[in-house]
Amino acid sequence: MKWTGDLAHFPYPFKGSTYRYSNNSIPMKQPYCIEVTSSYKKEMLFKRKLLSDHPERCYQSLPHSITGQWEIVEIVIDHLVSQYPQDFSIEQENNRWIFTNKILDEKKEFIFGEKNSLPCEPLFFISQHVQEDLIYMRQRDDNLYLDAGQLCFPANWSLAFNIGMKFKSIHHPIPGFKEEGLDQRILQFLMRLEAGTPWERLNWSLMAGDRLDTSLETFNQWGRLRKQVTSENAGELVHIRVEVQKLFRLPRTNSILFSIHTHLLALEQLATNIEWLQQFYEILSELPDHIVEYKGISTYKKAVLKYLEKQLQQVKTL
Amino acid sequence: MYIEPTLFVRVSSIEKITKQVKKFTLFPETGKELPRFSGGAHISTYLKIPSGLIVRQYSLVSHPDKRSNYEIAVRLSENSKGGSLHWHQGMKVGDRLQISYPKNHFSLSFKARHHVFYAAGIGITPFLSMMQDISTNRQTFELHYASKSEESCVFHSYIKKHYPNQSHFYFSDQHQRLQTTSLANHPIGTHVYFCGPEGFIEQFRTASIELGYPILSIHSERFSPPKPIVLKAFQVKIHNGITINVSKTETILEALHKHGIIAPYSCQIGRCGTCELPVLKGRVDHYDSFLSDEQKEANNCIIPCVSRAKSDKLVIEIK
Ligand code: HEM
Ligand code: FES
Repeated sequence: MKWTGDLAHFPYPFKGSTYRYSNNSIPMKQPYCIEVTSSYKKEMLFKRKLLSDHPERCYQSLPHSITGQWEIVEIVIDHLVSQYPQDFSIEQENNRWIFTNKILDEKKEFIFGEKNSLPCEPLFFISQHVQEDLIYMRQRDDNLYLDAGQLCFPANWSLAFNIGMKFKSIHHPIPGFKEEGLDQRILQFLMRLEAGTPWERLNWSLMAGDRLDTSLETFNQWGRLRKQVTSENAGELVHIRVEVQKLFRLPRTNSILFSIHTHLLALEQLATNIEWLQQFYEILSELPDHIVEYKGISTYKKAVLKYLEKQLQQVKTL
Repeated sequence: MYIEPTLFVRVSSIEKITKQVKKFTLFPETGKELPRFSGGAHISTYLKIPSGLIVRQYSLVSHPDKRSNYEIAVRLSENSKGGSLHWHQGMKVGDRLQISYPKNHFSLSFKARHHVFYAAGIGITPFLSMMQDISTNRQTFELHYASKSEESCVFHSYIKKHYPNQSHFYFSDQHQRLQTTSLANHPIGTHVYFCGPEGFIEQFRTASIELGYPILSIHSERFSPPKPIVLKAFQVKIHNGITINVSKTETILEALHKHGIIAPYSCQIGRCGTCELPVLKGRVDHYDSFLSDEQKEANNCIIPCVSRAKSDKLVIEIK
């Protein structure tokens, strides 16, 4: 969602002066899979509308994912309650749970582990309380499969298309991933993920516009804005899109929870930090064509570079 | 050095279940419940004794959904170097220790049509939680369990009571022998699992391979003792350039960066694999948790944020 917080807390994704695909995961300092930001209420309403208007686009699951879904309910509630005790609470009496969301003024009672005690699947239920998209990667034998997911804010991909797919097939569209053996190495890393040691990584992209719901299915609605970018309007129109992605081993099903929190920042805001402006300009100028192409920046890269140059000029003449 | 996150627990009961095996119940010290786990999972236990830290792995034998406590079963081994001896003689109710989060390197196959477990002696332990998982997800299994005698057979009455139709016992004092020939009797799509002494596992693995079981249908569990880290200084030569010294207290990655050499990295704890570099010469002392055993044995790459040199010099390639 459009960044409304303190710029110093924006998950700025760059280090160094070049960017290449690599496993940039690091162990988390604060081991929580979710974060509540100042746009919580607005995003929850939007997310719920998407979930009810477009359930097949935003929610998919395979039948054997139910135990894992309960595990996600358990970990998400645990993290909400321990991190934001003033906003969320849980009463537990054996398997009878009462979850309270004070921000939305909601109370929900259910029997943990009993599907019929909720009006929807467990993952669907809990995803209505967090800004993150939640993906369940089931470990089956020597591979990971996307066995369930709630996805409202995708960066140009389709959950309905990817459901049931293996880790490597999901990453097949990324140029060079397979050729460089990166997909195998990341899979090897994920297979060794341990409970108690969660990881996070930042993924970034540029987009024309400020839509959170940029699904592959609705490309025709938001993709055309790319053609309207000029060096004059880039500061306002173009946004850097950063996903904070978190990886947790779920010990009950020996599977993985992948949570994605999406943040958008207009380039004009990014440019207010001179170091960021300089670094981002260097990275974008040097970015290899195959990455530019994959991230969908080709049509307006020149305009953005020109905009950034102008900003840098201004800084230097000040 | 990286130390994995741990949970603090206390021993709440100790029960002698056979002449050589004791069962320990561990409950969380903080009052917060313990994580659930999956069938076949184990924990590492960290015991502080005057002569140092003892780290041992034990399978969890309690129910995977039970969060109030964990149970492990420890056999006093004849040539114990301190681990099981301390558990048996030093441990008292109320003692405090650290344990890892549950891990699973011996999980049930998802695609198996039928599961067959072969256990010898204390090797039964990982199968207890696996059998519990299978009975709830309605798959089929059999257990073949060899022991010296009925008295020394760990969890004998429990297994007989809960899995009367699936379990088969072999007591050597009654001249019953568990033989590899039974491997030939399982239907296509069966996955086999072995746990017990090294020789037992090897014998059954070899026999399964000879019978034509696909490698991915054969599962076994071995607990490897933790590797004590040897900190000595050595040299690293970049294939087309300079030679740098790596002191006792720094990592190769740190030494490279100190010399202005650009080497990628991310986690710096030997897990993400981002810093991997090719090795052209010299012997590597692997300390990472990223490379597989085969990759480590090949000795042609290194994870420089944690691993070191066995030889005095390593030649590595940096592009
Ligand atoms: C296990 C959970 C993960 C899931 C479900 C997942 C899913 C995805 C999906 C759906 C895409 C878009 C592919 C498309 O174009 O259709 C993607 C892109 C990508 N993924 Fe993952 N991923 C996971 C973990 C990781 C990890 C651990 C890495 C570590 C480096 C990674 C690196 C990437 C990269 C570099 C891209 C390209 C992004 C870009 O250039 O904007 N992924 N992933
Ligand atoms: S930096 Fe992650 S393994 Fe070395």
